[in-house]
Amino acid sequence: MKKRILALGLTAAMGMSLLAGCGGGKTTETTAPEKSNAPENPPVVEETTITVAALASGYSETYPAMWQEVCDAFTAETGIKVNLIHEKGLEDAITPSMQAGDYPDVVHLATGRDAGLTEQMIKDNLLADLTDVLSMNVPGESVKVGDKIAGGFTETSLTNPYNDGKTYLAPMFYSPCGLFYNEGLLEEKGWSVPTTWDEMWELGDKAKAEGISLFTYPTTGYFDAFFYALMYSVGGPEFFEKATRYEEGIWDSSEAQTCFDIVAKLASYTHPLTPAQSSDQDFTKNQQLVLDNAAIFMPNGTWIVGEMAEAPRADGFKWGMTALPAVEAGGDGYSYTWFEQAWVPAGAPNVDAAKQFVAFLYSDKACEIFAKGGAIQPVLGVADLLEGDNVMFYSIYDNGAKAAMGNFAAYNSVAGLGTNREVFFDPVNGLVSGTTSEADWIASIKTASDQMRANLK
Amino acid sequence: MRSNKGRNRFLALCIAPATILFFVFMIIPTINVFRMALTDAGAFTAGKFIGLANFVTLFNDKRFIIAMQNTILLVVVVTIITFALALVFAGILTREKIKGQNFFRIVFYIPNILSVVVIAGVFSAIYDARQLPDGTPFGLLNTMIRLFHDPVTWLDERHVIVSIIIAMVWQAIGYYMVMYMASMSAVSASLYESAGLDGAGRITQFFQITLPLIWTNIRTTLTFFIISTINMAFLFVKAMTSGGPNGASDVALSFMYGQKDANLYGYSMAAGVVIFIFSFALSALVNKVTKRDVLEV
Repeated sequence: MKKRILALGLTAAMGMSLLAGCGGGKTTETTAPEKSNAPENPPVVEETTITVAALASGYSETYPAMWQEVCDAFTAETGIKVNLIHEKGLEDAITPSMQAGDYPDVVHLATGRDAGLTEQMIKDNLLADLTDVLSMNVPGESVKVGDKIAGGFTETSLTNPYNDGKTYLAPMFYSPCGLFYNEGLLEEKGWSVPTTWDEMWELGDKAKAEGISLFTYPTTGYFDAFFYALMYSVGGPEFFEKATRYEEGIWDSSEAQTCFDIVAKLASYTHPLTPAQSSDQDFTKNQQLVLDNAAIFMPNGTWIVGEMAEAPRADGFKWGMTALPAVEAGGDGYSYTWFEQAWVPAGAPNVDAAKQFVAFLYSDKACEIFAKGGAIQPVLGVADLLEGDNVMFYSIYDNGAKAAMGNFAAYNSVAGLGTNREVFFDPVNGLVSGTTSEADWIASIKTASDQMRANLK
Repeated sequence: MRSNKGRNRFLALCIAPATILFFVFMIIPTINVFRMALTDAGAFTAGKFIGLANFVTLFNDKRFIIAMQNTILLVVVVTIITFALALVFAGILTREKIKGQNFFRIVFYIPNILSVVVIAGVFSAIYDARQLPDGTPFGLLNTMIRLFHDPVTWLDERHVIVSIIIAMVWQAIGYYMVMYMASMSAVSASLYESAGLDGAGRITQFFQITLPLIWTNIRTTLTFFIISTINMAFLFVKAMTSGGPNGASDVALSFMYGQKDANLYGYSMAAGVVIFIFSFALSALVNKVTKRDVLEV
């Protein structure tokens, strides 16, 4: 009998220990923040703790303590404690618990990433309305958030995804995108930066004679900023608005045809190795083509300087950046303003405290800390915080280029339809390697665009 | 009677943990896959029942068709090449007297110890298509090929599947070779001697004696290999190309995984069901086709 009881006990113990792994995570998660994040002298006003999940991107590599310092400054200002989740693959870190209903309070994660978590939240209407944040005062300052954010940033489909005048995503870290090149190479050869596409093709022919390709791109994902700016420079804001809402017949218009023709022609001037290296694993090899003087231009953002800081480069290499050339002489050159987003899940436990945190992201203090990592908040007067190459990059709009903002409108997920990137930009690889024709590309865009329009949010 | 009851209860308790775990982590998720495949579920929404609509879309989805084609191509080609080479190498290493036999055994086996990510890194260097301005290639393979052919862009749309096949074969040969060496060394040497006396050459001996006698082993490993190729193909594609360029190297599982990012969990599960049934059917087919009378000596 004793033996049996012992055996039973052991079996039970074994069963318990096997199952124990399932329930353990939660408790450790909730106790951790108090240990690591308690500031030295907290003004105890409220006993709220919010969870902030922020992507560790290139900026965090430059200045790893960036987010922690902002969180500490927020706690010092408001007394609200912050539990920071700061990871490179943020989606993998937070999605499982979000699916179990355990949402972080603030998430800093841009659209356009492979895992598409932000898009999923938009499509499923799971974001809290942040419109009232704009009329809140920045904590510790007597300025309204809406008055601090630079013009235009809260009027795009990137912040107001449902086109209803309400802001669901707060604009973060902006970066002018354009064509990056080696200024040293152009100086050495005596070539000038093209201001129209015709000049661009001329330069392409001259470069070809010397064995240099005119163009390359890191991955097809970089075509979004490029194509948006192209649409602006071809047809202006009106055409952009219609095209990004998939208006009927828009892809048959002459403006659209011009855009397609330019991309198709550019494909013929693209470095032939580009598609083979345009994967997430090898894209830096494409960027290296520019550093090695094997290709002249590539679409990119200001983060490229930090990203390729350690890479070898041609003698006399100097980063240059230009807006997209105009379609005709005297036309507008556009540079796309890429920016990230922060949002509050509708299911967050502390929505009000979360909104205060979002408001604090625009405070002078936060802007200064972010700027140390090269992350520039879309706040008026931020130009004073710029350093190094950034001074030149961010002055692109002062030098005549117009700012392009916005993106393709969100649509409900439809099986078999594919994402914007899959439909519009991935086939560029095929254009370059000659496996897709321009006509096929346009035809598939038209078919997909009809479906996207029918499923608009 | 009483003690029997107690004994049964004890046995039930003993197998309960394993059964419960098996149910919770195997049976229920599998049922869920089939259930979700009939809905339009997203990441955060349960979705509503839509019948077989996902499957109809799936079989009209060009990307899925390409992914399935790639999967079948990989399963067929990688299996044939790997098995042919593994058998030949195993035959040579067990039957022939070669200097440094152990060395070869280790060299062939090493790729199997490496993780797929490391292999992807190695092959990224092997396939590197860049050239110096004077035409000297960076990549190992192109450096060799240059002697008799123009350099090849290994990871472009036309060659990317071939590149993945080479990497997968390279990775798998060693493991199967070692398995066959084990069973080949169990074949009695007297059989070869008498066959030799009857005038059978090495090649005849290989096909008439070695292959039939290790057939059971080949059959089992073949089924394993086909299933694992479906899985390994995903790992290789994920680590080497992410399915690009332009979807040319997508395989069934990477397609399924990719749908998750578009918030189409139901659709993704429908692809999962098709792959599930496909793997089962394929294993059954292979089992059936390779059935022979078991030879024993």
